Amino acid sequence: MKYKTQQIAWLFFATSMLLFALQLVYGFIMAFAHMGYDTLHPWIPFNAARAVHTNLLVMWLLSGFMGAAYYIIPEEVEREIVAPKLAVVQWAAFVIVGVIAIIGFHFGWWEGRKFLEIPRPLDWLVVVDVLTFVGIIGVTIWKGNRPTTTAIALYLGLVLAAVLYLPGMIHFKSQVLDSFYRWWVVHLWVEGVWELVMGGILSFLLIKLTGVDREILEKWLYVIVGFTFLSGILGTGHHYYYIGAPRIWLIVGGVFSALEPLAFLGMAMYGIAMARKGGRQHPNKNALLWTLGCCIMSFTGAGFLGFAHTLPQVNMYTHGTLVTAMHGHMAFWGAYGMLVFALIAYAMPELTGRARHKGKMAEWAFWMTTIGMVAMTGAFAVAGVAQVYMERMTGLDFLDVQDALQVHFFGLVLAATLFTTGFALYVVDFVKYGLPRSGGAPRTTTNGSADDVVVAVGARAAEG
Amino acid sequence: MLSKSAARAFFIGGTLLTGVAFAALTVHTHQTVPEQSNEANLTPAVERGHGIWTDENCMGCHTLLGEGAYYAPELTKVVERRGKLWIKTFIKDPEAMFPGRRRMVKYDFTDAQIDDLIAFLEWVGNIDANGFPADPPYAPAPQAVIVGGRSLDNAPEVFKSLCTACHMVGGKGGNVGPPLDDISARYDAASLDAWLVDPQAIKPGTAMPKLPLTPEHRKAISTFLLETR
Ligand code: HEC
Ligand code: HEC
Ligand code: HEM
Ligand code: HEM
Ligand SMILES: [Fe+2]
Repeated sequence: MKYKTQQIAWLFFATSMLLFALQLVYGFIMAFAHMGYDTLHPWIPFNAARAVHTNLLVMWLLSGFMGAAYYIIPEEVEREIVAPKLAVVQWAAFVIVGVIAIIGFHFGWWEGRKFLEIPRPLDWLVVVDVLTFVGIIGVTIWKGNRPTTTAIALYLGLVLAAVLYLPGMIHFKSQVLDSFYRWWVVHLWVEGVWELVMGGILSFLLIKLTGVDREILEKWLYVIVGFTFLSGILGTGHHYYYIGAPRIWLIVGGVFSALEPLAFLGMAMYGIAMARKGGRQHPNKNALLWTLGCCIMSFTGAGFLGFAHTLPQVNMYTHGTLVTAMHGHMAFWGAYGMLVFALIAYAMPELTGRARHKGKMAEWAFWMTTIGMVAMTGAFAVAGVAQVYMERMTGLDFLDVQDALQVHFFGLVLAATLFTTGFALYVVDFVKYGLPRSGGAPRTTTNGSADDVVVAVGARAAEG
Repeated sequence: MLSKSAARAFFIGGTLLTGVAFAALTVHTHQTVPEQSNEANLTPAVERGHGIWTDENCMGCHTLLGEGAYYAPELTKVVERRGKLWIKTFIKDPEAMFPGRRRMVKYDFTDAQIDDLIAFLEWVGNIDANGFPADPPYAPAPQAVIVGGRSLDNAPEVFKSLCTACHMVGGKGGNVGPPLDDISARYDAASLDAWLVDPQAIKPGTAMPKLPLTPEHRKAISTFLLETR
């Protein structure tokens, strides 16, 4: 670690770990409900569990991205983060807003708009918080010596993500237009600007881990994000086929979204090629494993499984079935979950000066989560295809079909248990790394929520 | 070989081009949606119903226009499929209609609120969603032969909307309760009427719910079921 203020990233990483752990708990609640064990229904009905599951997902990924920026930007632009105290406040505010939102969901304080359930008043707080973040990083880049393409891609991705949050806050009387703009957030995030973030983080990791030439790498970065936007912007149309929007979206969305996998394929080939080409043998093999894993799983989950249901003829029957859930899990985990995990795997030894990445545990964590997620995707896929065939093609009753699918959710729970065990190993490693070390770091533990103090205390115990 | 500045130009050019096309299509969408979704019928009741739909996050269990969660039935065509009376009865006590099945939340809605929700669902059902949901292509063809000569075609409306969710007549309908083709063998007008007034009173613990039937409804139903052919 070259710059003291990079330690701020640790706060965001720790927050990510905690929120992700909670997300998994709610995933199990839903999986059991699908199996017929909805014991928690009176207290946590399915819609509450789902809102918590998906919003925690978005929160921990954003927390991971913000941590990534606090970690990467100083090294790229070669200066300390400006206003580190404000950065800690920004982190604390993020945690507080998140916790309020999650608690609120349990009491029906929400908006039934998938993925954007956070109520409007809190939306404004999110906007203020993200603007603060964007300001801190922006000024840091501005004052730095070296605005690299990698830094700019990462930053631009985060700024555009903030900007695109706004259309989701407009109110429409019509369900159709409400949906139309909801996708400006959800789709243009994951299949647009977040890919810029992904490109930026992957470039940083590849430069560090493989020592490949920056000029070559950054050139390909432009080509890949060029493909992303070329296909992804009009590809939004694959959500407009059957919601009451005009027919032209069937053609536009079909053609352009079918091209989207190319960007993910490009990303995967780029990662693998650079890893081969690079001369350096960085000791952190585990981070390289996560980086390449991310390249491959994102292509499989987003590119390949996305393509599987993106043509309007197919989507007519798969739209809004468990097939979508199959794709959603592997795409989110492969592209963005593994990205954050790769960066944390790289950053922790640097931040703490410990070498746990050489241990067996780190390797097991990777393989158990990866195999677990592939198996979960399989379980959703079998359930999804069976549902499409029975309900959408044969016209059987919804509830009867769901009864027939219960067994696949048992499979899901088994796979999810493997996945969760892998994640638990990763967390054990994270805790054992301990707190970032070096004098004069921003006081990172005292402003924490109760939960973070627990982690910090755990970390200290492990240190001592 | 491709230079870095050419790569940058590709990125900026491609993004601008598709961005402009996207903006143009957005304008086109705004022009088309009012007609395609019958915005003229978007009454204050529909708007209130939409509000309840969002406040209660019904989309966290159901899909509507294919968007939402995969835990409960797709509701785009529910008014057409079930009828208003059935939906109204169902929402008041969901478990009574599907005893022992996956549970929906039991809401304390007023009658007016339920009417608003139904108005909203009806409005959504009339949106031209480019053919969604499609008719199932492999569905068995409708039964041409009518068991015992009784057919739903001449059933009263209330029967079609309330009873067929659970009972079959002429091979069509639900299978929560027994088929009702041969009811005249076991019931007369008086006993059938008593059953319909309050099944629980006749057979405590039965899975058939007490339904909101007026005397006229009961008369029409028993005429239909007890008619000998
Ligand atoms: C906790 C999950 C959940 C929530 C929340 C929920 N539902 Fe349901 N709903 C169900 C389930 C499950 C069924 C299937 C019937 C059953 O088992 O009760 C259902 C059935 C229905 C049906 C009948 C569909 C049919 O085709 O038979 C309607 C109408 C309906 N719900 C409307 C609503 C409305 C309106 C809301 C919001 C105010 C809502 N539901 C909220 C779970 C839910
Ligand atoms: C929620 C599902 C449900 C609905 C809706 C429903 N029933 Fe039933 N019904 C049942 C069940 C279950 C039974 C079997 C009751 C038992 O034996 O305990 C039953 C039994 C009956 C019987 C007695 C059948 C026999 O063979 O003894 C009659 C008659 C009947 N229903 C008529 C109706 C009519 C008419 C309607 C519409 C107004 C209706 N039901 C609506 C579930 C339903
Ligand atoms: C990392 C990138 C991606 C992520 C995280 C992701 C995630 C998701 C999620 C969560 C949904 C469910 C949305 C909803 O119904 O509310 C979804 C839907 C969808 N995705 Fe992706 N996706 C990604 C990339 C892609 C790509 C590249 C394609 C096409 C090739 C694609 C095609 C689709 C389609 C067609 C749907 C709609 C499914 C339906 O109609 O129900 N996705 N995606
Ligand atoms: C313990 C592991 C997990 C289990 C058991 C689980 C289970 C579930 C279930 C049952 C649903 C609801 C589907 C429905 O509406 O019926 C769901 C939704 C979702 N989960 Fe998970 N999940 C787990 C982990 C994850 C992970 C690791 C991610 C991403 C990184 C994730 C992302 C999502 C997304 C995006 C949705 C919404 C999907 C859609 O709308 O199409 N989940 N999950
Ligand atoms: Fe999409």
